[in-house]
Amino acid sequence: MTEPSLKDRVEELIRDNQVLLFMKGTPEQPRCGFSMRVVNVLESYGVEYGAVDVLPALQPLREVTAEISDWQTFPQLYVNGELVGGCDIVEEMDESGELAGLLGAERPERPAPTAKQELKADDPQQSPPMQIER
Amino acid sequence: MAISTDEVRLMIEASLPGAQVEVIDETGTQDHLRATVTAPQFEGLSRIEQHKLVKKAVQTRFDDGSIHALSIKTSVPE
Repeated sequence: MTEPSLKDRVEELIRDNQVLLFMKGTPEQPRCGFSMRVVNVLESYGVEYGAVDVLPALQPLREVTAEISDWQTFPQLYVNGELVGGCDIVEEMDESGELAGLLGAERPERPAPTAKQELKADDPQQSPPMQIER
Repeated sequence: MAISTDEVRLMIEASLPGAQVEVIDETGTQDHLRATVTAPQFEGLSRIEQHKLVKKAVQTRFDDGSIHALSIKTSVPE
């Protein structure tokens, strides 16, 4: 039996994973800002996804994806066998609600970007207790 | 090898006649660029197809390493 080519392997991964991300690094340790942003978006939906670190075979994988999808920069998100896009597109579709539809998941509530504010009992900024007139 | 934002803009404009193109340098090192393109040629195309048209316009500069990263935002004219 002949060795499957890299292209065969990639096509198989795209087929076998409903959501598949080709990224630089891993979800635990992304090695590029754009890849990290896509991971963050996917993680927020709580959906299962496959992740492939392209760094060990960057140029060969660029060539394979160029052949398969006519696209050669990473990260690349595939859903249901089709290339959705890179970071820009994923973030746009997340904002618009389209990604939720595509993933079959609900768009998660996003916490406000500001840090949590914990009011302490001795916080001088707290306003004085309300005076209730009886 | 760096590339000017003007050159990128001109390449995209040449490839998409009639498009409104803006290119900015995101990091000041001239290799992380952001292109915002509004073009009638995008009508009816999916986002990825629109992005492909922009990418193709500057493919040679990706290939020679002048552009390290290009963020793209596309839209269809009103």
